[in-house]
Amino acid sequence: MGEFGHFALACAWFLALFGFIGGAYAGLKQHDRLFLSVRNGTMLCALCLLLSTGALGYQFLTNDYTNQFVWQFSNASMQAVYKISAIWGGMDGSMLLWALILSGAGAAVAYSSASMPRSLMPWVLSILNSSTLFFTTVVLYLTNPFRYINAPFIPPDGNGLNPLLQNPYMAVHPPMLYLGFTTYAVPFSFCMGALLSNNLGNEWLRLTRRWALVAWSFLTFGIALGGHWAYLELGWGGFWAWDPVENSSFLPWITGSAFLHSIMVQERKNMLKFWNVWLIVLTYGLTVFGTFLTRSGIVQSVHAFASTDIGWVFLLYLSIMFLATAALTFLRRNELRSSKTIESLLSREAAFLVNNLLFLSICFAVLWGVMFPVLSEAITGKKQTIGIPFFNAVNVPLFLALIALMGLGPMIAWRKASTESLRRSFLAPFVGSFAIAMFLLWVGIEGFYPILSYSLCFFVTWTILAEIHRGMKVHKPAESAVGSLVSLLSRHRIRYGGYLIHFGVVVVTIGITASMAHKTEVEFTLGRGETHTQGRFNLTLNSLEGFDTQNYEALKAQVAVTSAKDKEALGSLEPEMRFYKKNKETTSEVAIRSSLREDLYLVLAGVDTSGERAALKLFINPLQVWLWFGILVMMLGSLVVVIPQKRGSKV
Amino acid sequence: MGRSFLSLIVVFIVAAGLLVFQATQGTASAVVPLNDLVATPKQDRLRIRVAGRVADGGIDYQIQPRIVLRFNVQDPGNPSGTVPVVYEGLKPDMFMGGRDVLIDGDFREGEIKASQLLTQCPSKYEPPSPEDLVKSKTPNEVDAHPSSAS
Repeated sequence: MGEFGHFALACAWFLALFGFIGGAYAGLKQHDRLFLSVRNGTMLCALCLLLSTGALGYQFLTNDYTNQFVWQFSNASMQAVYKISAIWGGMDGSMLLWALILSGAGAAVAYSSASMPRSLMPWVLSILNSSTLFFTTVVLYLTNPFRYINAPFIPPDGNGLNPLLQNPYMAVHPPMLYLGFTTYAVPFSFCMGALLSNNLGNEWLRLTRRWALVAWSFLTFGIALGGHWAYLELGWGGFWAWDPVENSSFLPWITGSAFLHSIMVQERKNMLKFWNVWLIVLTYGLTVFGTFLTRSGIVQSVHAFASTDIGWVFLLYLSIMFLATAALTFLRRNELRSSKTIESLLSREAAFLVNNLLFLSICFAVLWGVMFPVLSEAITGKKQTIGIPFFNAVNVPLFLALIALMGLGPMIAWRKASTESLRRSFLAPFVGSFAIAMFLLWVGIEGFYPILSYSLCFFVTWTILAEIHRGMKVHKPAESAVGSLVSLLSRHRIRYGGYLIHFGVVVVTIGITASMAHKTEVEFTLGRGETHTQGRFNLTLNSLEGFDTQNYEALKAQVAVTSAKDKEALGSLEPEMRFYKKNKETTSEVAIRSSLREDLYLVLAGVDTSGERAALKLFINPLQVWLWFGILVMMLGSLVVVIPQKRGSKV
Repeated sequence: MGRSFLSLIVVFIVAAGLLVFQATQGTASAVVPLNDLVATPKQDRLRIRVAGRVADGGIDYQIQPRIVLRFNVQDPGNPSGTVPVVYEGLKPDMFMGGRDVLIDGDFREGEIKASQLLTQCPSKYEPPSPEDLVKSKTPNEVDAHPSSAS
């Protein structure tokens, strides 16, 4: 089965090579039959990679330890779902998964390509295949998951997946992230194809906007899954640590978000073409760069990196991409020139531009933070590092500026907004937000940034509601409110879906602000029957017991939560400490009680020598679930935008 | 593209640059090789980051009156020199002797007072090798393969 998987992988490599060269030739000579072959080849390549991955999965499920990779990351006692997710638990399999999903995206494009402009599509498929070719090359030659085990006998059992990774999130988070990363290859390929075929009207944008949003949604959800997983698993009460691996997934998200906005300017006003080309190339490049960063070992992180030599291959690929883009944009500079300019700073064009500049500033800041150890050592000879305080100091004001823009942008007129229209749109919400800020100060909320954040969120919500109200009035004044709203959403999906996404961002912002700025963190010890009071809550230790399972020994504390005011029972928290027998590792299992108001997050730190007193650490994270809920609202909004509109509807 | 366009970009570059520069200055910490600390224990160094390996002995985890973790950290290439670390906080998951850690804190009085302690996730991209497996087996267990010399 391993041989079969390896063979399928090799077939995929040849098909990708054919697709790359054949597609370019078909585009150059406008060779229809070759194009159709390339189309089939692209889909066949995806099938081969699917078979290859399937073979690897089969080897995992059947405990086939002749395969070194399977031995390293699996053992017989693991559940089937974790044996499958172990495919991406190590580098080799994760690169295969990447190649698979990438080829899948290519196949989807190829499938629908017959009805798309014939001058453009061969080039698009060529570039998509070049991307698949690169990653398949990496898998086949550098990180092959089908290697035979390097031992004189077949081991009876495998090494096993790290217990921290035996978690449902491991099954979803990496594939979701990879879906986000790889689908950005599609708008990238469309862009390159447009440059190569000199097809620079806005067709390539229209064709790829949906793909860009799909990629962005997957990436958003994948990043959120990672943060949620970290929150549940790691016991430090937070969800984001600005770790280089986290940042490498965040960087393409930042530029991808910028791209979603600036393409609107290109569609409406035929501006920013040159800008958009570089933005999508940058976004795709950042997805490749992120993969490079996490496998090259040049930056230190809690995620262990193999100090492998494959980093240079990625740098080479990125360099070729950069040079090709530079050459092509120079070649097509006349077609990329805009017909219009920004006439006034008080205009929607300018607002979109500021939006992009803010996103790019954040991207620069995060990249700076990630690369600072490398840069500081190269320039000053002394290695320095910057961490969470740096990222927060820079990104909080920049993101808040974006939130403000979220409220301002959709209401400013194109070209040039008159003071009258500005006053009409913004005076009331501005006064309202100011009042909210005063109110918050009055009830005792402290901190400049939290208050600013809440006020801006209020401002944005007001403007969104005002826009919806205006739309409902214009659209169908006679229908019921709900009917009018639904009809609005279904007829103008992009606009109102976009508002829904923005509203989701507001909810996320409130959740992040509250859970970080107003977090409570305390340590205490409890004996059996003792109670600790924190805010509205009484926590009483009912029992502290050890137990044994097949994989681990555990110590569990059972803590009852009651209301401090009226002693009403609110639930129970049962944090554990686990000792895994095979790897001899200890982990703590956090107990969380979520409600709309706050999360109670309890960690069992240990017991004293007598075994009678438990050491506990409690976090109270206000409005934490708003963060996760807001992400879901954003996903719902994306769904609204992505579902195709009926013909003839306005945007 | 228009003067407004360009002037906006310049303003942003300057503003972002200033923001980043100022934040860097205020929060940067020096990455110090562990061997430097071993060599000059009397020299205090504030706001540093150290990477090292947890020494096998000397791990002390107290939960009363405060939660405090004490251990020694060593350079994997030079295991004889160790530096004591004190961390007032929860013992991180998977913390044990032989694990690689990242420590942020101050080095004072010959000891690292850690403000942040992170254990490196050991398995994701650095799996064990089967050679280790072979070495750890006793001759009886290796018998499974008839051609191995005994």
